[in-house]
Amino acid sequence: MEDGNSRQKVRDIYGFIQDNLYLNRPDMRVAEESFNSALLFSLLTALNRGKELIIGEPGLGKTTSAEYIGAMTYRLPLGLIWAGEVSGHPEQTEEKIIGRPDLGRLNRGEEVVIWSYLAQLPIKIVDEINRLPETKQSMILDGVDRGKWEYLNDVIINEEYCLFATANYQDRGTNTLIAPLIDRFDVIVESRHPGTNMAFMIGMKDRYENVLRSAVFERRFQEILLQRRDYHEKMRGLEELCDRFGDHMEKEFHVRMLSQAERKEIRDCMQELPLDADANAFLRTVIAELSFCHKYGQKRSDEHCEEGCHYTGFLCHHTKNCISNRFPISVRTYSQSLAWLLGDEAVGIDHIKAVLPYALAHRVQWKDDYISQKQASNRRDPLQIYMGKEMVNEVYRRYNEQSHHIKNALAVAYQTLSGKGLEPIEGDHPIYAEIKRDLEEVR
Amino acid sequence: MINPFEDFKEYPYKKKEIPLDRIVRAKERVMDQIIEGYLKLVEEEVKELVWLVEHNRILKAYSSALQTIQKFDYDVDDIEELCLELDKGGRIPYLISGPSGIYISALCNNAKEQEIHLRLYELKRTFHFLGYRLPEGKTLILEGDLGDFIGAGLSGGKLIAKGSTGNWAGAGMMDGELCITEHAGQNMGEWMSGGEIHVDGQIRGIGKTIRGGRIYQRDKLIFPNYLTSRY
Repeated sequence: MEDGNSRQKVRDIYGFIQDNLYLNRPDMRVAEESFNSALLFSLLTALNRGKELIIGEPGLGKTTSAEYIGAMTYRLPLGLIWAGEVSGHPEQTEEKIIGRPDLGRLNRGEEVVIWSYLAQLPIKIVDEINRLPETKQSMILDGVDRGKWEYLNDVIINEEYCLFATANYQDRGTNTLIAPLIDRFDVIVESRHPGTNMAFMIGMKDRYENVLRSAVFERRFQEILLQRRDYHEKMRGLEELCDRFGDHMEKEFHVRMLSQAERKEIRDCMQELPLDADANAFLRTVIAELSFCHKYGQKRSDEHCEEGCHYTGFLCHHTKNCISNRFPISVRTYSQSLAWLLGDEAVGIDHIKAVLPYALAHRVQWKDDYISQKQASNRRDPLQIYMGKEMVNEVYRRYNEQSHHIKNALAVAYQTLSGKGLEPIEGDHPIYAEIKRDLEEVR
Repeated sequence: MINPFEDFKEYPYKKKEIPLDRIVRAKERVMDQIIEGYLKLVEEEVKELVWLVEHNRILKAYSSALQTIQKFDYDVDDIEELCLELDKGGRIPYLISGPSGIYISALCNNAKEQEIHLRLYELKRTFHFLGYRLPEGKTLILEGDLGDFIGAGLSGGKLIAKGSTGNWAGAGMMDGELCITEHAGQNMGEWMSGGEIHVDGQIRGIGKTIRGGRIYQRDKLIFPNYLTSRY
């Protein structure tokens, strides 16, 4: 069990980037602490092997925030991270993104794959992902989802990796992200304009100098990555070099980075954090509202709510699609990470509420009339994150009014399924209908 | 089979409650109190399962019963339910007609309702002293055949007995009205000092010492114009 040193190290990384590399304003509060959402969620993404979509205007630090976090949490020099980045554009090919045949050996009749840096490195950054045509987005689905990269007859699977993708707002050169791809992102954040005064300070910095760069180490890392040997062996060599780079950074610049063992230890601690009853019941309540359909059994994108449905006051009436099973995984893991970072012993409702808007903003397809109700509102967030926050507040209000009743309904349901002949608790919310259905179908 | 509610295994739960369940439970609670009160009265008043009908004893039992039931929140249905419980004998080990009737009378006299209707025609046993000291403003309607001392000490209330009564009906009544739709036993109106008794059926005999009040049989005044001692 970690003793707080790792947590302090992670906080130091956040503080170092915030103070020196990615200057921006805090835009969210959790448990009396202020954070910048782009930086915080990038950090949590790196820590728990997540996938993050960063949106924002060009030049507002979408890619750089991910690069700094990646470098410091995985002990990689910044130049190597740049080398591993893939840019989305219409002419992008599988050979540039994933791997290519070793042409020399191909001429000798051997099929050997030279894997791209993106496929090999644990920090994966896809810049401007929405410039990839929709047909080419499916090329990276498996890699994004499972860390599995296939080319010719060869496969590599990343044991530890995290993915950052950036997307510009829609313009003539962008495409829509396909639903299966977008659902694979755990969270979406916006990298915002830092404000006039912070932008001025950024303008005063030397654009070429960066403490996280090391030409010597970058060359050594590249030598390992280009070696023609087993991927896992290469990764062991890479890790040893990461440790040396970490020692070098600490000695030369007093910058402490995370080792692989520390990252694992942190993940183990995070996974042990339980959700308290309210966090648990609230998340179930949210899922119920985003998946329930009174008429057709569940939400389906091609089926529409009928007029006069009893549940028109709930989110299911304002959405088109059904929330995926990846959604609760994202919420749980990020909430656990956040609770760990804050030093809490369990995941509470505040952690869940902080994570939810960022975990569902890109996953929920709102109905047009609901969007038109909201889009003209005064706000500081992009529309989809703003709607996510509004949604969370709305569901929380409903949950708060009947939290005891919902928790009781869940407890009674447990007893019923355990053999006690209790009647399901009823109430006016989709969660009760879902519980009742679970009990009926098991019986 | 996975229990998807496992996380709430330890969460303290409350069963689903429909309003009827709550009402039944409240009723049961009240009935428990009433029965407990009765058993306490029997324990105090009945020695060796013998209860002698003596004026002081009756008064003492009535006072004790009144004191016990003061804190109970009951209604007419509970009184009727007690009569059924006493008759069934399941939760009440022994029925002693005198104290049980006095206890029921105390409940009637202390009830919130002004009119009390007890359907006793299905009972196998009878209770004595029903309507004891029924006060002014109260109407007690008793259906079915009744025991002795019905309406004894009546104190201004109206007692309608829809059936026959035993002996000593209206004994010692001071004021009020006792109506008997069928027959009455012996010593009716003994020590009576006021009020009226109306009997629609036969009367086996009226009391030897009647100090006041009136007795009618089928609307015919038979006391004070009492001529014969036997009907």
